[in-house]
Amino acid sequence: MKWATMQQSGYAWLRALAYAGIGLVVGIGLGLYLGWVAWPAEFTNANPSVLQTNHRRDYVLMIADAYAVDGDVAAAQQRVASLGEDGQEFLMATLLDMILRGEQEGDTRRLARLADDLGLYSPAMEPYLTPPEPAS
Amino acid sequence: MRRRRQRALWPRNRHTDDAATSSGRVSAAGWVLLGLVLGLAAGLWYAWMVEPVVFVEVSPARFNERYQAEYIFLVSQSYAANGNWPQTEQRLAALDDSAIGQTVANLLERYVREQEPAAVIRNLAMVARQLGVETQAVALFAPTPLHGNTATPTAILTVLPTPTPMPTASPTLTAIATVSPTPTPLPTSIPTAVVSPTAQPNYRLLSQERLCLTDAPAPRIEIVTQDALLNPLPGVEVLVSWNGGADRFFTGFKPAEGPSYGDFTMSQDVSYTVALAEGSEAVSGLRIEPCDNGLDGGWRLTFQNLRLRITATPEGEE
Repeated sequence: MKWATMQQSGYAWLRALAYAGIGLVVGIGLGLYLGWVAWPAEFTNANPSVLQTNHRRDYVLMIADAYAVDGDVAAAQQRVASLGEDGQEFLMATLLDMILRGEQEGDTRRLARLADDLGLYSPAMEPYLTPPEPAS
Repeated sequence: MRRRRQRALWPRNRHTDDAATSSGRVSAAGWVLLGLVLGLAAGLWYAWMVEPVVFVEVSPARFNERYQAEYIFLVSQSYAANGNWPQTEQRLAALDDSAIGQTVANLLERYVREQEPAAVIRNLAMVARQLGVETQAVALFAPTPLHGNTATPTAILTVLPTPTPMPTASPTLTAIATVSPTPTPLPTSIPTAVVSPTAQPNYRLLSQERLCLTDAPAPRIEIVTQDALLNPLPGVEVLVSWNGGADRFFTGFKPAEGPSYGDFTMSQDVSYTVALAEGSEAVSGLRIEPCDNGLDGGWRLTFQNLRLRITATPEGEE
């Protein structure tokens, strides 16, 4: 009879733990949803390295434009570095992409100048490093 | 005996059953709630502290304050380089700032206070003006075009070797209300500006006159800056240096004296050298000298820009 009592009491606790477990699982799920999706941390503290590709590309072009205006290679280098560890690779990829697509020559020239002054090289850059021929 | 034992056991059984019922039925919601609260706390702790979200596909609107300022600076420099206003607008729109004009105006004021290079200030002022901002700094550094042309940055510069003074009436610029204090050569303010000689100066000294005033509180060096066509040219950075010190200021902050005027109060027995930051010959040996009326006199220097500004066609509008 004592055994039966203990067994009944044990079942009651197991049931309670099961309820608590269900609550725990639902709570964890809810917590992760809120923490990762609804109210994620670091939402407004972004830097250029996490920009969307199109915005990142635009940012590189602006760095090249600023360099064309002020000629400050150290500042330009720092800005390219702010794009992340692959900043220089991204700059070159953007430049080659622009060359292959034949995009705005002015933009391409400024970007090529920046790449060259940062010590980056590609044979495709060369036509854009020489001054444009005056129209006859 | 058996009966008695059974009776004795019965209350205990009933009590245990009550407890089980109580923990199993009455507290069920409590147990679930307890688990929920603990789980929620654990989930948030993990999501915020252990493995926070790192966004990798954001727009400039998510930049922190520092990079927002950097972004606006780059937009203004880019606009100065290519003159493409639609593209500039699109870039600024990426900041998702409903008061972008005010944000740019605030940054412009910060640049003026921090004495950023004049070209940087001008480029930003140009963007601010295009956004419709009307502040003192914009009026100084990006005055409205005189000939009703649409505002585009000057991209092509032509050197005029010998500009000829033309006695035409200069159009007046917008009057500015506030007056900034006269910079005085205090030993505590040691700026870093250094006059660098340039092979082809952007300005030439048009005239140097003795300044003998009866109503002036102290002798001063007055600077007037003009463009190639002798129109007033405000917002030009002036560098003043003397033995053991230096200072700088911009023309145009005393609109009552003219839109391109600036001055500097002189001290006794100090020899000053004046040059323009954008490149001019350095005028040295400027000292307080007695005038014919017996009062101390200063100097008035007029500089003329040697470059004629031609408005470029924006690339994006070709």
